[in-house]
Amino acid sequence: MTRQQITIDGRDELTDALGISRSDVGERPTLSELRRTVETETDPEFASMGEAIRDDMARELDADLLASELSAFEEQIARLPEVRDAGIPEGAEEPETLYREVVQPAWRLYDHLVEAGFFESLEERLPRFTPNHIERTAHELVRLDALSEELDELGFDEREKTVLVMNVVNNNTRLARWVPTKEIPSDVEFDVEHVPPLHKRAMGGALLWVNSMDVHLWQKEVLVTEEILDDGYWDVKAMLAGVDLIARAALDIAEDGAMSDSQLVAALTGGAAIAIVNQEEICKDVYWITEEMRNPTPAR
Amino acid sequence: MAIEEDRAVKAAQDTVVRETDQGYRVLGSPEESITHQHDTDRIPRRDITEEDIVDSAGDPESWLTYGGNYEQHRCTTADVITPETVGDLELEYELHVGAESSMEGTPLIVPGDPPVMYQSNGPNHVKAIDAREGDVLWSYTYAVPSDVVLCCDDNNRGVAILDDKVFMTTLDSGVVALNRYTGEEEWYTSTADHESGYSATWAPVVYDGKVFTGSAGGEYGVRGFHVALDAETGDEVWRTWTSPDEEWVGDSIEQSCATNWMTATIDTENEKLYMPVGNPGPDFDGSVRPGPNRNSAGTLCLDMQTGEREWFHQESPHDVWDYDSAAPRMLIRDFEVEHRDYADDAVVSLGKTAWSYTIEADSGKLLNRSEPGVQQLNMFRMIPHIDEGRRMPFMPGAMGGNDWQPPAYNPELGLAYFKMNNSPQEAWWRFEEYEEGKKYWGGILEDEIDQPPEGYNDHISAVGAVDPETGQLVWRDWIDSDAYIWGGLLTTESGVVFGGTQNGDVIAWDGESGDRLWEYSTGDTAISGSPMSWYDPETEKQYVAIQIGGSGWLRRGTAGRDDRLCVFSLEA
Repeated sequence: MTRQQITIDGRDELTDALGISRSDVGERPTLSELRRTVETETDPEFASMGEAIRDDMARELDADLLASELSAFEEQIARLPEVRDAGIPEGAEEPETLYREVVQPAWRLYDHLVEAGFFESLEERLPRFTPNHIERTAHELVRLDALSEELDELGFDEREKTVLVMNVVNNNTRLARWVPTKEIPSDVEFDVEHVPPLHKRAMGGALLWVNSMDVHLWQKEVLVTEEILDDGYWDVKAMLAGVDLIARAALDIAEDGAMSDSQLVAALTGGAAIAIVNQEEICKDVYWITEEMRNPTPAR
Repeated sequence: MAIEEDRAVKAAQDTVVRETDQGYRVLGSPEESITHQHDTDRIPRRDITEEDIVDSAGDPESWLTYGGNYEQHRCTTADVITPETVGDLELEYELHVGAESSMEGTPLIVPGDPPVMYQSNGPNHVKAIDAREGDVLWSYTYAVPSDVVLCCDDNNRGVAILDDKVFMTTLDSGVVALNRYTGEEEWYTSTADHESGYSATWAPVVYDGKVFTGSAGGEYGVRGFHVALDAETGDEVWRTWTSPDEEWVGDSIEQSCATNWMTATIDTENEKLYMPVGNPGPDFDGSVRPGPNRNSAGTLCLDMQTGEREWFHQESPHDVWDYDSAAPRMLIRDFEVEHRDYADDAVVSLGKTAWSYTIEADSGKLLNRSEPGVQQLNMFRMIPHIDEGRRMPFMPGAMGGNDWQPPAYNPELGLAYFKMNNSPQEAWWRFEEYEEGKKYWGGILEDEIDQPPEGYNDHISAVGAVDPETGQLVWRDWIDSDAYIWGGLLTTESGVVFGGTQNGDVIAWDGESGDRLWEYSTGDTAISGSPMSWYDPETEKQYVAIQIGGSGWLRRGTAGRDDRLCVFSLEA
């Protein structure tokens, strides 16, 4: 589940994963509430993974480029409500650029990370999504000082912020399907050599989904409802928050910033998890338009 | 000379198609391609021009291109057969083509005295036949390399004709041009390396001096393309990958599949090609190819002169059910869609999703999506991972809906006709239980399921009619069997729809009501061929020809082989 509601079951799963007593938080806990309650012990394994990634990438990343594009990207994320208000892109022969504009700076971030070998480093240093790794990620994410403020700036309210963290924790099974390339057996029928690193798939995939929204909504206008647009708005916003987290972690490496090594790993893993879970959601919410979902036709 | 002594037929008979864990292998093919001439002098020497092919749409005596016309309507203007007269249709002759192999083709007819039929079947065997008498005039078998691997049988669905040549795709991903009068090879061009998994099974199409041909290998991790060859020399004119790099993450494009494995539709007025495009690769594990995988499972429009991509309309974004969109597109000129205030050319596509899509030909924008032609149960649900320990049958299954079976369109009635399967399958996604030597598609596809989904109506397939303007399902005739339905349809402008079934029946339906008007049992073997029709002014008869015989896929391939070409006739 990734909807913006916080269900009791969802909350219970989240508090259990964080090792928090259910009675210590409200029915719909905020990120700040969770942060106050969660243990403050740092995970040494996370810290060593983070340190290794910093060692790999510190000299490869361009801090100025990352900072300026991240700033531009966050301005675009803040524009999402007006993109939603525009609804379906206009255009007689082809769709106008709406969603594609939102992700332009993100593509430049992505391209730089690709050129720098960033994703190969993550592939080498980070484990696959196991329930344990995801729980530890959630724990560190909640403790990430700047996370709440940054999400505020991106236009996430308290409920949405909690839902993002729940995305990570409550989707163990789905995330487990996304296997790091190095762990895919070499004798499967497809050529593993052509499978991009996991975090590249997470970030690149999310951007591709957003990128194709213009043409998809425009071509399928006769099927699209307001509900589809609303659901898509949240899915896009959540995916881009995941992308933003990954990019922020990269910037932190380039600037030798304030994140601890373990928080760095949490931002990278959490960002990827949020991007992955929500790209699986946008399929169902926006792209796979069933008979039940579609806008009725006046012809029948 | 009897067909028993035909060396090309003998070579085709000696070629064995064997199903292995990796797909179908073609073994025992001749070292060199063989032409056997019987009575080539009987073929009238009249080169077929592009104008002839364009005009054949309104010519009752011709069937000069795979879909009956460049717009692929599969509609004949021959009018001896009508709903009122079709009951008198009789078998004129049966011809044993000699090779009991895949029989998925559509014959072509060049009008003349006599009309000459060009008929092909697996494994890359083609004949010129006196269509009036049923005599073989020449035959040809291509030397298929033994290391070709095929997902779904040694299919060949037909040939193309231009000038003095007949063109056939070859199982090793090539095109061979034969002299139409003699059956001798003129040129051969390989379009891709078959050792990488590429193959070719469809009928090519020719226009503007070019042979247009696509790509197959969507279960073998290839990258789909479409290519134009010079019809005179076989030289490549242009080549276009179906999917652009920027629509895929990194190197995943290298095995993106999205092959174009059925015949393109030609828009002669606007110089565009509209083509069906298949599943993304790998089939079931979408996690290694994130994003919508644009330019897979939908309709691709290319500029005919340059191969430049114009638009793509997707039917199954980020597909994980093997929902190729394979059936040929039907181009309808000046199509009015009243409720959308639209009056211009439209492209109609029937996909594995079981919907029919009516699309603006200029832009790829959807005008209308039909009611489902068959049941959609658990549709668009993510297939489970092996460790979830649950099975999820889904419908349409991986064979559709409408797979490759060519639909037909009657412009007089404004109805499109389809053949769809209504059979559940299961798929799951796994790495952990991979066993060496077993076919593995990023998951497992199981067509023998434990439990059908709730609400399954137990009908395995259907033939039906849909109105492309409103999307209304006008009629549907459920076909029951143990096997799935294959092969295409034919419509007469007068309002009769012909098709074969997996039970060996040739059926004529009333195009307006769906009532069965005439049935003929050819035996128990399935019919996988697509019927076509022509009128012979000499005999004053209208003929309908259809190839009898099965083809295999996923162990539920229609049972049994046959090698017959059945030709029915009705005198004016």
